[in-house]
Amino acid sequence: MDVIYRALCFIIDLFTSFMERIRPGWIERNKSKIDEWKLMAYAYSKSPIAVTGGILATITVILALFGPLIAWEPYWQYKVVVNPDLWLKPPCLPPSCSGYPLLGTDEWGRDIFSLIFYGYRISFIISVMVVVLGVPLGVILGLIAGYKGGYVDEVIMRLTDIFMAFPGLVLAIAFATILPQRIRGLLDASPQLKDFLLWIFALRPQEYGQLAALLSIFLALVLVWWPTYARVVRGTVLSVREQTFIEAARSLGLSTWRILIKHILPNILSPIIVFATFDLATAVLLAASLSFLGLGPQDPVPELGFMISKAGRFFPERSWWIVVSLGIVLLLIAFGWNLLGDGLRDILDPRTRRAIEVRARAKARAKAAKVKGG
Amino acid sequence: MGMTKFLIRRLMTFIPTIIGVMLITYIIAYVIPTDPVRAWVGGEKLLNPEALEKVRHKYKFDAPWYEQFSFLVISLFTGQLEDPVRHKLVVQELSYRFPITVEVAIFGFIFLVLISIPLGIISALKKDTPIDFFVRLFALFGSSMPSFVLYYFLILALFVYTRTTYLAGVPLPSTACMNMIASYPESIPVLGHIAFYIGQVPMFGAMMCGEWDVVVETAKRFYLPGLALGLLGGGFIARLVRNSLLDVLSSDYILFAKARGLPKTWIWRHALKNVLVPLVTVLGIQFGGLLAGAIIAETVFNIPGMGRYMYDSIARLNFPAIISGAFLFALIYVTINFIVDIIYALIDPRIRY
Repeated sequence: MDVIYRALCFIIDLFTSFMERIRPGWIERNKSKIDEWKLMAYAYSKSPIAVTGGILATITVILALFGPLIAWEPYWQYKVVVNPDLWLKPPCLPPSCSGYPLLGTDEWGRDIFSLIFYGYRISFIISVMVVVLGVPLGVILGLIAGYKGGYVDEVIMRLTDIFMAFPGLVLAIAFATILPQRIRGLLDASPQLKDFLLWIFALRPQEYGQLAALLSIFLALVLVWWPTYARVVRGTVLSVREQTFIEAARSLGLSTWRILIKHILPNILSPIIVFATFDLATAVLLAASLSFLGLGPQDPVPELGFMISKAGRFFPERSWWIVVSLGIVLLLIAFGWNLLGDGLRDILDPRTRRAIEVRARAKARAKAAKVKGG
Repeated sequence: MGMTKFLIRRLMTFIPTIIGVMLITYIIAYVIPTDPVRAWVGGEKLLNPEALEKVRHKYKFDAPWYEQFSFLVISLFTGQLEDPVRHKLVVQELSYRFPITVEVAIFGFIFLVLISIPLGIISALKKDTPIDFFVRLFALFGSSMPSFVLYYFLILALFVYTRTTYLAGVPLPSTACMNMIASYPESIPVLGHIAFYIGQVPMFGAMMCGEWDVVVETAKRFYLPGLALGLLGGGFIARLVRNSLLDVLSSDYILFAKARGLPKTWIWRHALKNVLVPLVTVLGIQFGGLLAGAIIAETVFNIPGMGRYMYDSIARLNFPAIISGAFLFALIYVTINFIVDIIYALIDPRIRY
């Protein structure tokens, strides 16, 4: 655990020296902030849940970034055409059946192990896009509603109510059914965007029809994502707004935007970060659920939910390994984010962070005393 | 009285929500680039422009949008709206589907409560022990598990290998029983109507007539989806129970009660009553979510409930059905919120409207 603390401190030092280089005197001015960061790093390294989550999340990110490069078999090669033996081949260890894939194959004879690496990329990119787009949208609307109050508040809150009254998955299905055609038109209009998106999803240019399906899932999720954030943020803003320091800022004549961004947002940031981390997990699972229902990309695209739904047809005798291995992948991605979020919640909340520190210090002291005594 | 005034005001805010939900559903339906009528009529009719025109006229596709929308809403409320794909009244379809979803929701809710509350209390009492850690992990697993994978393995364990359940059909009470329930509103003045609506849920209907074998069959059919839903959501609520119980147990008035030497049962009564406040909200929202139909569970467990109906309707661009479903969902959401508000006022003496 000490290694992690040192590594985090190194990153913090790197960042502060970088800031010092751009703006001289930055370290001096932000001394207390840096100390707090180091305390957070300490609390983090002492929380096994947060550390496990961090490791899993790092693995997810690394596999998502480099997965398609690692994958040794292109996902579009249907090997079963050449070698019928590969049709839903169960997994087995090398001595007994060397030459065959370790984790078995799917019904096109593709190596499941290799497909997993593509799947990581797609799931990760979708979840990150949903959170990166959906959360700020909700936060901004919530900030405006909470700070402005009155008529604006009423309109935004009724809108969130409307979106929340509709079960998220149903709304997402509706959008995912309707959107692909529009998105395809949009992609046709701007080839650069199309190429960029194909590149980040690691898909071939031929799959751009499937890309529209993926994007429609993503847009559908964004559209059902923001209301929760808008509501939570509005609630917090309402309580922060009445405090004296905001009143002071207002009487100094600061603009509304400046107050919102500089003074209110930092006060509500830590719960938002925690929620967003949890939501990365939820987004991965929801995107997989939508493509499980057949609304996402179709065949050659190695989307995890879609591959599981295909395997469901042969379940369990002829496809249990697909469901197990891809299910574990989805579980690991979501579990990593959830663990990280759960750990971060303890660390970012000053009360529980204090408790973690005190406990860790007491343990260290007891250990030192024992060494001395022995 | 302040309370009544507040509740009435709350009821008023529900009206724009419901209208808004229907309007947004309609707008989504309206902007769609394809012609839904072509998706509804299948086979030979597709080649017959006259037939297409007839359907189009029936659902006012040739009229401006507001006329179309008001036609949909008015005919939904008068119960005349017809499902263009299934050629049935939408009200009929909903009154078949929704009770089934209610059954699934009830089983899910029972398992949710059975799993979450004991686990939550235990992990609060044994704070920072392996049990507490296990509950924390269980909660995290529940929210990280891809639901369909869990469903597959539950089916494998409890259906394929042990046959403790079955995955087709829905047990209904006998026709005689249904007729008896249908006659309730005429024979009994006010309670008859309530009994009639409750009796629409097959399980409750069977209970009313004393057909216990149907109840047992229902339990056998629906306990698996209920268990799955409970496993997925139970850990999360257990954590909530734990955290709020810990908050309450460390509060001043409990310390005071302990210091005064009040009996343990008293202390627990005070503590649990305060835990109920946040719990009611979350359980209410969960139940509302279950009533909206767990689409994936319904797909995997082959249950003809609301979620499945909505999914099929969206796939066929069946707007009359979608709008009716949206109306029902909005109504459920609003009702659950309203009930939660009332329960709040009843159990939390601090809340005065």
